[in-house]
Amino acid sequence: MSSITPPLIAFIVGILASSYLLIKGKNSSGEEGTLGILNASMGFSAVGIMGSGWTWAIHNSMIMGSSSMCATEGLVQCGSVIGDPQWNNLFGIPWGLVGIVSFALIWFFVLSIRMDLHAKWTSGYVDLLFYVSLAGVPFVLWLVLVELTMVDGAPHICPYCTVIHIALIGMVACSYFLRQKRDTGMWS
Amino acid sequence: MARRRAKALPKGKDEDVRTVAMLATAGIMSLVVAISVILAPIPQVGPDEGNQAPDFVSEAYSGFGWSEYRLSDNYDWDWNGSSDSNWFLIQFIDTDCPYCWIEGEEMSQLHSQWGDKVNFVTIAAQLNIPNHDSNRDEVEAFRDKTSYFGCNSDRDDCIDRPGTPHDWPYIDDGTNSILESWGLSGTPFTAILEPDGTVAWNKNKHQGEGGDGEDLPEALQRLVGGQ
Repeated sequence: MSSITPPLIAFIVGILASSYLLIKGKNSSGEEGTLGILNASMGFSAVGIMGSGWTWAIHNSMIMGSSSMCATEGLVQCGSVIGDPQWNNLFGIPWGLVGIVSFALIWFFVLSIRMDLHAKWTSGYVDLLFYVSLAGVPFVLWLVLVELTMVDGAPHICPYCTVIHIALIGMVACSYFLRQKRDTGMWS
Repeated sequence: MARRRAKALPKGKDEDVRTVAMLATAGIMSLVVAISVILAPIPQVGPDEGNQAPDFVSEAYSGFGWSEYRLSDNYDWDWNGSSDSNWFLIQFIDTDCPYCWIEGEEMSQLHSQWGDKVNFVTIAAQLNIPNHDSNRDEVEAFRDKTSYFGCNSDRDDCIDRPGTPHDWPYIDDGTNSILESWGLSGTPFTAILEPDGTVAWNKNKHQGEGGDGEDLPEALQRLVGGQ
């Protein structure tokens, strides 16, 4: 099957739209800029949650044989990555499920801040958002290393995994700029 | 004298929005999980009968060096219960386990009877008990029945193992990761898998407490038949 599927296109569009919102928000001043970055954060985390759900579904279908949800052959494929019992889980928990929970936590912080920019706890939540996002980076680096060097027939690139990795990097950037706005008095 | 009033900072909302945010997050997470499960139901994976057998990738010795072996690569995913695809006999051993030493002969006999209809796979673990230290040389010698002193709790030369040389893959599980993924704590253990990897017979269920006592040859006869 083709590597480019409608869900993948939808996720890529989500990443591009979120990136646009992030750049626009970063360059805007005051509350408008803060809200722009928060909207971008919601976009990245939404792509993260949905992309993780999709990879979890691929994981489940591959346990029962081949999956029609992602290519299983070629350089860009999921078979040797999500379908490999050696690499497709974290202590027995599928990476997709780990991703859903992690991005849901990020989504909660973003939504809380977005709903009340001036609450007493907002400043603390901006820090938490940054640290939670940053905590995902070593896992992303590890999984990219696995894809490129360790899976059967490496290198392979799992397209949905890559979308999720980019979403996380986008979240790190968003939370970094949110902290910057707060610390420089540009929050509102 | 006029008093200068400090500029009022923006104030947060009176109600705590975090409860609403948490409920919204839980709702979205539940929705994503539900859609994922509808798209691809969560498979039952484990050593119990009726479940999909836990898959593994490891190095295997088949008589000519070690190479990568993935159990599921050998499945017939299109098996419909009536084709001639091969079944699987999964055996967990430790080359130092006395019961595994004895079972070597039974495995040789079973292979001579069912080897054309059943793919035999032996997983060599390394139990964490004294005198159960093994290595790949010992696993090779155990399989091939060649001279290497250290089998059977370091009491015997592997060339003296009961039975004939085993003509099927031996999987290296020196880290016990496969043993653990199957939920096992000891050896020997055997299971029969259908050609698509579904567990059809689990030794512990039949020969453990409350089991019906069916042994491996009886199970092979019942499931694979033809002997």
